[in-house]
Amino acid sequence: MTPTSFTAPTLDYLLLVPFLIVLGVACLGVLVEAFVPRAPRFATQVALAVVGLAAAIGTTAWLWVDGKSGLIDPFSSTIVSGTVLVDPPVLAMWAILFGFGLISVIGFAERRLHSGATAFTPMAAAIPGSTAESGAREAGLVHSEVFPLALFSLAGMALLVSANDLLVLFVGLEILSLPLYVMSGLARHRRLVSQEAALKYFLLGAAASAIFLFGVAFLFGFAGSFSYDRVASAVTFTAGSDPLLLAGLGLVGVGMLFKIGAVPFHSWVPDVYQGAPTPVTSFMSVCTKIAAVGGLLRLFYVALGGMRWTWQPLLAGVAILTIVVGAIIAINQADVKRILAYSSIAHAGFILVPVVGAVTVGNMLVDGQAGSVASILFYLVAYGFATIGAFTVVTLVRSQGHEVTDLSAWAGVGRRHPVIGFAMLVFLLSLAGIPLTGGFVGKFAAFAAAWRGGYWWLALVAIAGSLIAVYIYIRVIQVMFFRAPESDSAEVDVALPGGATWIVLALCFVGTLGLGLAPGPVLDLLQSAAAFVIPSAG
Amino acid sequence: MTSLYAILAVILFTIGLVGFLVRRNALVIFMCVELMLNAANLLFVAFSSHWGILDGQVAAFFVMVVAAAEVVIGLSIIVMISRSRRSTSVDNEIVLKG
Amino acid sequence: MMLIPMVTGVEVTFWICAVLAILGAVGLVTFRKPVYSALCLALVMISLAVIYASLGAPFLFAVQIIVYTGAILMLFLFVIMLVGVASEDSVTETLKGHRVAVAIAGLGVLVLLVLAVAQGVHGTPVGVDSANTSAGGNVQGLADLIFSRYVIAFESTAALLITAAVAAMVLAHPELIKKKAGQTQMAAARLQAYARDGVDPGPRPSSGIFARHNSIATPALLPDGTIAQESVSKVLADRVGLRSVDELWGPHDEVLAAIETAGEEPLDVEDLDWDDDETAPGELEPADDHVVDETADEPAPGEPDTTDDQNESEESHADAVAETPADEEKRND
Repeated sequence: MTPTSFTAPTLDYLLLVPFLIVLGVACLGVLVEAFVPRAPRFATQVALAVVGLAAAIGTTAWLWVDGKSGLIDPFSSTIVSGTVLVDPPVLAMWAILFGFGLISVIGFAERRLHSGATAFTPMAAAIPGSTAESGAREAGLVHSEVFPLALFSLAGMALLVSANDLLVLFVGLEILSLPLYVMSGLARHRRLVSQEAALKYFLLGAAASAIFLFGVAFLFGFAGSFSYDRVASAVTFTAGSDPLLLAGLGLVGVGMLFKIGAVPFHSWVPDVYQGAPTPVTSFMSVCTKIAAVGGLLRLFYVALGGMRWTWQPLLAGVAILTIVVGAIIAINQADVKRILAYSSIAHAGFILVPVVGAVTVGNMLVDGQAGSVASILFYLVAYGFATIGAFTVVTLVRSQGHEVTDLSAWAGVGRRHPVIGFAMLVFLLSLAGIPLTGGFVGKFAAFAAAWRGGYWWLALVAIAGSLIAVYIYIRVIQVMFFRAPESDSAEVDVALPGGATWIVLALCFVGTLGLGLAPGPVLDLLQSAAAFVIPSAG
Repeated sequence: MTSLYAILAVILFTIGLVGFLVRRNALVIFMCVELMLNAANLLFVAFSSHWGILDGQVAAFFVMVVAAAEVVIGLSIIVMISRSRRSTSVDNEIVLKG
Repeated sequence: MMLIPMVTGVEVTFWICAVLAILGAVGLVTFRKPVYSALCLALVMISLAVIYASLGAPFLFAVQIIVYTGAILMLFLFVIMLVGVASEDSVTETLKGHRVAVAIAGLGVLVLLVLAVAQGVHGTPVGVDSANTSAGGNVQGLADLIFSRYVIAFESTAALLITAAVAAMVLAHPELIKKKAGQTQMAAARLQAYARDGVDPGPRPSSGIFARHNSIATPALLPDGTIAQESVSKVLADRVGLRSVDELWGPHDEVLAAIETAGEEPLDVEDLDWDDDETAPGELEPADDHVVDETADEPAPGEPDTTDDQNESEESHADAVAETPADEEKRND
């Protein structure tokens, strides 16, 4: 019984600096919550979150540049302690995640719209309508905990996309989800709906993680390891036909598709998106989707790439179903937030199209041009700008201090405030995929990748689906610009936001148009990132 | 022998899944999720013994940490909701119970 | 006799625990009371803990008992008690055919996964004994892995725990905005109110609980025979409504009437109204209701509607502890 000596792992902490910064700043935020007096607390939290995320983006870029110039070498020493992998696609996803995280966090800081308060309830523990709640409102309390919570969630997303191990993938998924369950229950108005959304999201999310975990257990039983490399070699060894492997693939796929919000695991999306505070909705709909797609990509390409012929048809079916169901149900919705929720379901389907295509330069299927990883990343960036922008405009259309999300009440809103109206027009056109916007280039690259990957029929179905989806956005645009307001909705107006929201709107506007007018540099950058998505396993 | 443990895990998991879909009480639904997590843990430990490595046991350990955090959050959400609901629909409840 | 030597202790453990675990799981899903479901879950967890011990995982055995059964499940029970122990699930189906569909789907999943397991698990299990001994013990072996290969995952779980703590504070801990008035301030305020508006500074009359009812919603009667409005908390008065004088006086009137009609005959106490109750408890409620069970044993004073009173006071008490009600409209905006 002599205990063997423990050999400490060699950790390349330098590679993890962006992730550690986000995690550390989140912990610091909790300390601020505890020790900084109430008056300067909110400003401190905002400043801390913004600076932290900016630092994370900066260090990610630094890792990228130095990796290129050879100072540190993310291309050879990519694997930290065998479970986390930092390679160019991961760096690209980190940059995208932290970027959109930064934009969302700036959106959280908006206070002018709510006459000095935030979009979050003053006291979540107070019973809706109680004296404690009104007292908290009068005392001007704010829940500045949302900033550390959002940062924790972002840290989970960063871990999720860089996982090279099923167990780390699971832990990342949970770190991502838990703060979101809390944040979606904190809406200022319509609190019961918001609380219900939190409960629904929590129960369904917990069940999805349990299913995912059961799949991980199957894959472990199949491969005898959690490591992607070992799973991949076991897949190659058994030619991808082992029953344990198939069961594990199915269960893990269900868990990941739930997070992405693909049909038939989408039922939580409209309710949660509608009930959650709108800034949280835009954070969820963009960052969660990017992280889940990133995790799914690495899992399916690297660990399960050897059984591509099994999962490609399955994912193709899910993609078609998602596009069709999302687009068709969105047409019948009467609530703007629900329309955007169903539109985001349809977009999950569009994103899955190039995932199925599975064209990467790394696996030598097709050389040159945008591989599917690059096109997925581009699509996600374009989708992110347009979606955050659209949800931000939703926060501006108000009546008597409350958001108005009823589509019929939006009649003529675009004409009454041309600047906001024009911005919304651009966002909606980008979501619809009309030329000169980022959405068009994203869709073009995505479908082209699927086409080159041999799934031309899927690309055709996706094009047909996106034509149906155009109608969703045309309908909103038509109401906003070409319908006279009804007499009883006359008090609906566009409220003038504070600086934070203007920054968000400007960034999203420039991003959406910029990606549409000059997509070249971004595509090139992402293309060079995507080249190394499969480091060793083939 | 491993397959017996795995079949037990599958049975527990399926019962949990069915319970999750059938039950209406949020607390019981959440308990069904915990049952599913436990089934996964059993599978981890069984496969750990099957392969003769300890990684599966480490996984079960991590699942317990995650479950503990998840339970705290889930139950706070349920408590929050039940407090608001009781005071909102208390009249209806009295009418229905009486 | 031949079979006995072939059965190992591990197998016996497995079969006993497997049966218990499945029984517990079925109970969890079928019992209508959440408390029973939670206790069934405890049964499942403890059975699994024993299986872990038999599979060479003594550390997980301990953690399963201490953390899962001891902490997580107790938290569940705690919340069940907080939210309402008597609540039951409704048995009505909201979606027609939902259960049949779920049962069929569940059966399908079960068959598929069992087939996958039955065909997919090959070879004889190696057992973790050699892995345990080579590391110097099970706990050492786990620690070795957690702090080397899985160290990043381990460090990241800190985020989960902090999130959980923050979430519990945000969602369930109402911050005190104003300092609560102490006894001195309240006394001063009362006297000020007396000086300004002439409000009686003395204590308010207590409710009529011991006269004929044991509910604090029963108002006290003043010497002139009218109801003392002050004697019932305003929350209860709003919610349950004050009893009328006639209702309170009813039994007395009956007694007086009985005395008058009795004439010269000696008064037969057995005929009087209150005595009905002594036979009442048995026929009042089914025995499985906790609330009534406790009170039914005591001789219930008053009219046959004692149990209603009990329920009422039980609920009104809970309400009194909670906040005052407000309009749904206000809450929803």
